[in-house]
Amino acid sequence: MPIKAMTQEWMDAYKAAIQADPDYRNIAKDWEGSVALVVNPDPSKNVPEPIYLFMDYWHGDVGEFVVCDKAKAESARFVMTGDYARWKQVAFKELDATKALLQGKLKMKGDLPYVVRNIKTVNKVIDILGKVDTLWPDDHK
Amino acid sequence: MAYDSDLSFNYFGPTKIVFGVNASRDADIEMGALGGSKAVVVTDKGIIKAGLVDGITECLGGKCAGVFSEVPQDTGVEVVDAAAEFARKNGADMVISVGGGSVIDTAKGMCILLTEGGTLRDFNGVQLLSRPQVPHMVIPTTAGTGSEVTNAAVIMDREMGQKRLLVENFNVPRMAILDPKMTEKLPPLLTASTGMDAMTHAVEAVHSIPHEPITDGLALHAIRLLYRYLPVCVENGSDLHARGQVQIAATMAGWAFGNAMVGIVHAMAHSIGAIAHVPHGIANGILLAESMEFNLEEAADGYAMIAEAMGVREKGMDDHDAARAAISAMREFTLRIGHPQRFSEMGVSEQDIVKAADLSLSDGSIVNNPRIVMDSSEVLDIFQKTF
Ligand SMILES: [Fe+2]
Repeated sequence: MPIKAMTQEWMDAYKAAIQADPDYRNIAKDWEGSVALVVNPDPSKNVPEPIYLFMDYWHGDVGEFVVCDKAKAESARFVMTGDYARWKQVAFKELDATKALLQGKLKMKGDLPYVVRNIKTVNKVIDILGKVDTLWPDDHK
Repeated sequence: MAYDSDLSFNYFGPTKIVFGVNASRDADIEMGALGGSKAVVVTDKGIIKAGLVDGITECLGGKCAGVFSEVPQDTGVEVVDAAAEFARKNGADMVISVGGGSVIDTAKGMCILLTEGGTLRDFNGVQLLSRPQVPHMVIPTTAGTGSEVTNAAVIMDREMGQKRLLVENFNVPRMAILDPKMTEKLPPLLTASTGMDAMTHAVEAVHSIPHEPITDGLALHAIRLLYRYLPVCVENGSDLHARGQVQIAATMAGWAFGNAMVGIVHAMAHSIGAIAHVPHGIANGILLAESMEFNLEEAADGYAMIAEAMGVREKGMDDHDAARAAISAMREFTLRIGHPQRFSEMGVSEQDIVKAADLSLSDGSIVNNPRIVMDSSEVLDIFQKTF
């Protein structure tokens, strides 16, 4: 049964999928710090308001994974912002996250060299995201 | 070369180019086209000493808001902050950088502070800007970095002990004036090594994973021009025709790698630069041919195009043979321009290359290399062959 994207239930499922992944812990062993995703609203795709997601990653462990408010999102070590359609492309791996950053399709507050040094971790969590059975807002009939 | 049927890319290159001998003397006229009325000139002490700034400030006259010349070899957050403060105090509404990579990167940082306010310490991220910045005109004094047309700047944060990478499409320089007079006095070794930086940008843009037809076109013509005119510049620095062709090539290579990215050569050059302070262009020049050898199976079709650009593809050669011809021509080329051949000549130790090999794996450029690098021993092997 697909879960509605960008809801708390979906965040819980995503966290569980990361924890269940046999390779994640080792790949992410050097990663320190929280990541927030900001989804810009797009009423035409049933995303009327901005959505803020906060995820805490620490040396292969995963902590808090919550839908949050703007202030909490902005407190993350890395804050990535993009239009809903871009994020969906990332989830479907139609858009490479680093390429999207360099081309300005996504914005990021935070230390870019750190992210590129740990690109395997980033790619791994995106990989897992693609495996969460998701109902996207614009999939609604 | 075949491109995938699902080819998709963004090409971004908004910089206006003004080229010609003494074109830098038109800086005042060109300022108007950028909407600027008072420009701060950013440069370094060496460039002032070489007499390259006088002509520009003279032509700017009352439109010059002052000269900031405190830019060191590797610029830093505090330098950018001080330069922006200087510009603000003097009422500048645009920035003219006269120099090489470090000067241009300083000016890129300044444009952000002059538009957005604050200090560079507040500014850490990628593509954060959402509007055009204070106009930046670049007058390069080396022909190599291509920084005059790219969206990136590297600025040291000495307090944090790390490099900051700014990547901002809204902060690409609006204009570059390529004046062959500005590179006329570059000594032969610096001419050769900065030229090999440009050559490496072009070759890496061709073999990188995100390469596409526009960047290939730019890179291949850059290779053509560099192959023909860089040796002339090394031989006779005052040949302004050759100097100009090499400047144009460096800028074209800048557009190419600014969009298609770079690969293993830059990953290794950044690393050996950080560990053993080998100048960037020299590290690239030493590594380029051997790295092409490493990528040969994955990039033979690209290297075959490079062989054509160099004029070394003979009749009857398949792509693989042509690629090999390009690699030997590249080796021979570095000898011809008197470029250093081995890291041991540059005071690098065997421990340094082991450390640099490890560090290379975590450099962002390596992810665009056509041959996937699985282990630092593969990188070490290239370092050993060039040691
Ligand atoms: Fe370079």
